[in-house]
Amino acid sequence: MVFTSAVSFVRSKGPDEFWKKRRIFKLSAHFIGRSRNCYSLAIRAVHRALVYATKGRKLRKLDMSDLWVTRITAASAQHGIDYGTFRNGLIQSNILLDRKALSDLAVWEPYSFKALTDVAKRKVLDDGLSSTLKNESNLDEIINRGTLNNCKSS
Amino acid sequence: MSNSHLFLKPAFITTPGQNGVGRYVCQLQRVVLKFCKSHGASRGMREFIESDLINFVKNSPEVAVYLKPRRHRSPIIKAEYLNGETQWINASNFTQEEVLKWLFLVKSQASNRTGIRLRKLLHTDHPSIQGPWTPYLFRDPKLNLTTFPNEELSQADVQDETATVKLLKLFQLQKIEDLNEKRAE
Amino acid sequence: MSVLKRVQQWATFARVWHIYDATWQNPFASAELIKKYLMGLYKPIYHPMNDCGDHVIVINSAEIALPGDEWTKRVYFHHTGYPGGATWTLAWELHTKDPKMILYKAVYRGMKGNLQRRHTMQRLHIFPDANVPAHLLGNVSNQIKQLRPIPKRLDHMDPEVVKNSPKIFDYPKDYIVR
Repeated sequence: MVFTSAVSFVRSKGPDEFWKKRRIFKLSAHFIGRSRNCYSLAIRAVHRALVYATKGRKLRKLDMSDLWVTRITAASAQHGIDYGTFRNGLIQSNILLDRKALSDLAVWEPYSFKALTDVAKRKVLDDGLSSTLKNESNLDEIINRGTLNNCKSS
Repeated sequence: MSNSHLFLKPAFITTPGQNGVGRYVCQLQRVVLKFCKSHGASRGMREFIESDLINFVKNSPEVAVYLKPRRHRSPIIKAEYLNGETQWINASNFTQEEVLKWLFLVKSQASNRTGIRLRKLLHTDHPSIQGPWTPYLFRDPKLNLTTFPNEELSQADVQDETATVKLLKLFQLQKIEDLNEKRAE
Repeated sequence: MSVLKRVQQWATFARVWHIYDATWQNPFASAELIKKYLMGLYKPIYHPMNDCGDHVIVINSAEIALPGDEWTKRVYFHHTGYPGGATWTLAWELHTKDPKMILYKAVYRGMKGNLQRRHTMQRLHIFPDANVPAHLLGNVSNQIKQLRPIPKRLDHMDPEVVKNSPKIFDYPKDYIVR
């Protein structure tokens, strides 16, 4: 007769071991290959994944802001003003919209975005930086405080 | 999206809708109460069936309630909704009151909103009044009548005048000056 | 999805066909420009994972102008994979073999190297001359502006204008015109 229970009792490390491994396997449930089910591989992969996740939290924000800049650049280029000039013009006009809001406006409210580019262009023109603009044909319609001051002084 | 949300069903945040403003349609269609006749985990469920189930069924005639006894399995509440979704609740060791509370919950909701991952924290069915951007939005209508390739549209924007143009202008000025000098003589 | 919304979505994600005349253009600077249209970078809806790239037809790719002495100095490397399979081709040699190749490689190298690049390149149609098949030309609805003005050759100019232009300098007496 073979007595395995004593051996098994020594080998089993108790209920804590089970729950500890289970905690790791829950995190490795979506991995490919043996790193999903083999503990010694899973723990390594999970540690690596958690490191990536930590780094990714910062990168995600950077990626999003890069995407917003790309979108605003595209939308403002269509109206003949480049990104830096556009943002600068808005800030000078005391329109303090961030990149997320501007890119949302460019996609979902394109006419409002065009109005914003017009305001920025007018400001840039009033500041005497017209060489940065491409087509400035219909800008006479827009008047802001700076334009009025310019008219008074001249 | 964190790791614990990987296997959750992705969904958008929604409002309850207009159900009940004019008329009310109960979104819960069917409830199956599965239980064991002898096991201790089903005790609360059995007590609920003995005492409260009749009242619940009387008060909610639009819901079909099924009872499914099975040996030595833990008790389950399975709810089926009008939109085709099913919700599965483990009712192990629930008391009689807890079973009733869960039944009221599934009766009052339109679908299973637990176990979903919100894809975005903001959602609207009407995102834009002006309409989203399209490539045709600020297009010059002149392009519709042009045949491509078009040489005039292809020409580069030249900001400064070229040396040739400057030279020719100087030449013209020089010519005029020469003429004036001759006239003066 | 209502009919209106569906049509709106079609319009937003519509593929536009552009045409670009490569006559006398720097292919490497043009690649940066063409890339924007191929990848959809000029659209405010751009996202690397949404399919918003456009088609670009490039005509007259045989007429490109390389900057400086790049025709003789720029070298294209290729390796067959076998030992001794490396070849180095000068730009002018490559251009005589295939007048589309320099522009194609310039656009390909102008984009970030990922798997999407191959599919994006499928939307680039290069023609060595102005003969574009009618079924492609019928799709075109926009012309991309060239980067630099095309210089006018002396023998293509009106002789009257040439005669009336100012003479800027005289050749030295011992100058030999080749």
